[in-house]
Amino acid sequence: MDVPREVIMALVLISMIIPALNPLGLPLMVGDMSRAWYRTVDELPEGSVILFDIAFGSGGYPSLGPGTIAAFHQMFEKGHKIIMMATDLEGSMMYPLIMDSVKPEQNYGAVYGEDWVFFGYIAGGQTAMAGILGDIRALVSTDYQGNDIDSLAVMDGVNGADDFDLVASITTSGDIAEGWVYQGYSQYNRPVIGGCLSMMTTSIKPYYDTGQLLGLMDGIKGAADLEFLTKHPGDAIVSSDILSFSQTLVLIFIAVGNIAYWIQKGGNS
Amino acid sequence: MVSTDPQIWIAAFLTLAATSYAFRDNKVFKFAENIFIGVAAGHLVVMGVKNIRDYGWAHLAQGEIIYAVVFLLGILLYTRYHKEYYWLYRYPIAFLVGNGIGISIRAAIHSDFTVQIAQTASPLIASDAMGTINNIILFIGVVTALSHFIFTYEGMHQGVLGYAPKVGRWMILLALGASFGNTVMTRFGMYQGRVVFLLREWLQII
Repeated sequence: MDVPREVIMALVLISMIIPALNPLGLPLMVGDMSRAWYRTVDELPEGSVILFDIAFGSGGYPSLGPGTIAAFHQMFEKGHKIIMMATDLEGSMMYPLIMDSVKPEQNYGAVYGEDWVFFGYIAGGQTAMAGILGDIRALVSTDYQGNDIDSLAVMDGVNGADDFDLVASITTSGDIAEGWVYQGYSQYNRPVIGGCLSMMTTSIKPYYDTGQLLGLMDGIKGAADLEFLTKHPGDAIVSSDILSFSQTLVLIFIAVGNIAYWIQKGGNS
Repeated sequence: MVSTDPQIWIAAFLTLAATSYAFRDNKVFKFAENIFIGVAAGHLVVMGVKNIRDYGWAHLAQGEIIYAVVFLLGILLYTRYHKEYYWLYRYPIAFLVGNGIGISIRAAIHSDFTVQIAQTASPLIASDAMGTINNIILFIGVVTALSHFIFTYEGMHQGVLGYAPKVGRWMILLALGASFGNTVMTRFGMYQGRVVFLLREWLQII
């Protein structure tokens, strides 16, 4: 017995629209991994320098964008200096979207060049990471807007890994998530936190369990946790209701599919 | 009230066009697919040129002659399209592979083997009951899953010892199940992001 995929798709769509129109307000249980991310950033002294890799594109934005926004809210609120880069080709397209939501100048009085800088996309994956952590000025001479990095106050005294108090990345790529653990933690012994898609969690979590990642933001669930912890509710908390509702439907599909299979099998035998 | 912003309308149309594939392959989907490929390719070219300019040419222009070697290696990559000199492209490839392995291998061994093995070999008894249970599951999971891949000793898969690989296979299946569940959640997360966009930004009903 085959159910037409149009029917399943329509049901999934309806299951997303209903909670979007009428939020259910289902309780949010904050996970340990997100709590660890929040605590790691929170415990840094004011003015700490954070290297942040926006390593996702438009496909990953619905899952990782809200978490990145919440993460920046916390970092700017704490008065940290943020050195941003992108190891994903589309990362430089995500940067303005994220900043339009965070509004660091408006909300925190932060100034570009003094409190944060964006280098843009740097090709090479781990080679780029090793370059940034090894000697920034040997690799980068200008920021994304073409300003000489030596003219930016935020770059004063920031030359390499030893000058970063924390390395953070949010990515849709397993190679990038692992790369920051390899280069940030193993090679340069820096504290590292990471964010990834939920589908990557099973392969990235061992780095969190072994203390190589001090915090892990697990897709949209982790983003909702972080929005809750930072008291900046956004798209992820809205999404939690929708996901809880629509995934209950998936569970029903699985149950119905299995029951139908066994009934059919019983009938055939 | 529906948005009057043309950008929102374009994004909404492309979202609907892209998701229309879920119902059936159609011309509107193909149109959206081709636009996406075109935009992505254009962006790739721009970013590629920007990278060459910022991380290569900028250094060469400042008198760092060593960067001429980088440009030479880059140009050699294109010799693969030449019938006679195609073999030259192997040199930059060798450089890329060697460089990549050299940068990652030490850290990979540390992160993926040394630290993981040390953690797995840590005491089973943790400070709380849940931690102890987790440690025991982890220990059993690792040992039995590894035993599943011992093919050189036949006895490993027979008799009493044979239970270990069987348990290991269940452990692997459980891990795959968790991974698949997370994949479904991620895909739903991506799709609901566009549904929220349509309802909030385009139709403005939430």
